[in-house]
Amino acid sequence: MSDDPKLVPFDRGKRQPDPVKVAEFAATARKLQLEREVSRDVVARLLRETPYGHWPKLAERAELRNSGALDELSREVVSRVDRVPLESLAVAELATAVASALPDDAYPHVVLAQVRAQSWKDRGLALCYLARYSDALAALDRAEQILAPYGTLAHDRAIVLLARATTLQEAKRYDESISLLAECKSIFEDHGDTRRQILAAIAEGTLLHRMGHFREARTAYLEQLTKARQLGDRTTLAGLHNNIGHSSIELGDYQTANQHLDEAIQLFTELGQTMRVAGSELARGRMFVRMGAIEQGITHLHSVRNQYLNQNMVEEAGLCGLDIVEAQLARGASIEAEAFAWQIVREFTAAHLNARAITALGYLSEAIAARKASAATVENVRVFIRSLRRTPEAEFVASA
Amino acid sequence: MTFLTTQLHDDRQFEVVYAGYFDLLVQVAIHKFRVPDSEAETLAQDVLISYLRKSNDVVDLRPWLIGAICHASRHYWRLNSRIVPTEMDTELERADPASMRILDSLPNQLAAREALECLNPRCREILHMRYFEGCTVNEVAERLGVKPKYAQKLIAKCLRRAEALYGDKGKTQ
Repeated sequence: MSDDPKLVPFDRGKRQPDPVKVAEFAATARKLQLEREVSRDVVARLLRETPYGHWPKLAERAELRNSGALDELSREVVSRVDRVPLESLAVAELATAVASALPDDAYPHVVLAQVRAQSWKDRGLALCYLARYSDALAALDRAEQILAPYGTLAHDRAIVLLARATTLQEAKRYDESISLLAECKSIFEDHGDTRRQILAAIAEGTLLHRMGHFREARTAYLEQLTKARQLGDRTTLAGLHNNIGHSSIELGDYQTANQHLDEAIQLFTELGQTMRVAGSELARGRMFVRMGAIEQGITHLHSVRNQYLNQNMVEEAGLCGLDIVEAQLARGASIEAEAFAWQIVREFTAAHLNARAITALGYLSEAIAARKASAATVENVRVFIRSLRRTPEAEFVASA
Repeated sequence: MTFLTTQLHDDRQFEVVYAGYFDLLVQVAIHKFRVPDSEAETLAQDVLISYLRKSNDVVDLRPWLIGAICHASRHYWRLNSRIVPTEMDTELERADPASMRILDSLPNQLAAREALECLNPRCREILHMRYFEGCTVNEVAERLGVKPKYAQKLIAKCLRRAEALYGDKGKTQ
């Protein structure tokens, strides 16, 4: 035998997968696919037909004990979280109960970890919307613990990290949030998940905006525009233009703000998202007031307010009305401001909105009448009314 | 498309994904991260199975799978480096008694080369480094990107395999 150099070199020939593992993969694929199909309408129907108070008992239902049903429950959590966060939490609690009770051999271990972690992540999301931040972080801890042994599930972990970063942001723990956002953005980038990478970058921009770093926030948004265009995700693109508009207003760069708000309004209109159109128009109205074009601003804000009232969105209309009150105060029209503030009180009362919001608005009206109100007073009331969405039991404190 | 044909269509799609990417993922784990063969295959299997729950969400499959195997490989070494303690070099250079016995059964270069031919490529590479190039255990470990202790285990394992395979070959000849 000669000293043939071909004897040792590494053979990079195609590796044949183990037939047992191929069979496991195919069986899992079939099972998950089948469960998706059969669970499609089951969850929505069960939630519809079962009284809210009895939802925890649904954990005993056999038809919910699978990955497909848990995916549907996850969708229900997300779809309700903005409108009815308490219901969203109830669904999330049901999902964690179902996922935890799944037998350990129901799926390959990585799939089981994905299913269980997702349910805890959703629970964290619902708790965050209810401003129960420490509970939300505990739920997200649980999700991370489930995923920790599996390096394969880095993408799932990044999704949990994004939820944690958002929760920390709401809890005003900005420094912790920003480092997590950088980490999950990098993991999404590694996986070629451009959509979530943009979402993490938007969260980063929002955080910078909240911290008062408007220029850095705008830069963060601008960097994502090209990616969002290439992805063809028009909803995200519209949101980015809207956010750039807001940051530009804070920077006093009204020309850029107007240009991006125009883009946002056009895209939201094409997408049929009329209330988001109103949100961008509201920003434009505020911009006119900031620019000193107060009359134009007030007219614009009235038009937006009417859109909200037409949709029976009394609270949004009231918040928009507070911008009008602020503009009236800015031009020294206290009588008009007071009259308008009382009008909002009447609308809130008629709509049976939170009595605490009505108290705060009453305080504002009286402060205007006593010539003690300023833009800071209006802002204080506005922030309080918004906070009631998450903490409906909060008490109004007159700080300005 | 009926439910049945949809299911079959998806099944076939998943099989195509498996056949198309399994080898690539294993190669990435082995060559880029020096994950041992059998562990690399396990990681690739886990990556492909974890994809199943995200098949409706993943837009660009190849970068997603490669990202997942890269993170899985790094995680593997994070865990492995915690489990395997570093040993003194002198201890590592001490001959494995099992290896000495095997070396006795490979009396010359020719026999050794014939034995190597029976092995899988990974073992061939390891034993060639150790016994033909004269690398120390530490040098083998460095070239494989693994801990010295683990390299020593691999060398011993490959020698045992060589002994077994060479012995079998001898019996059939």
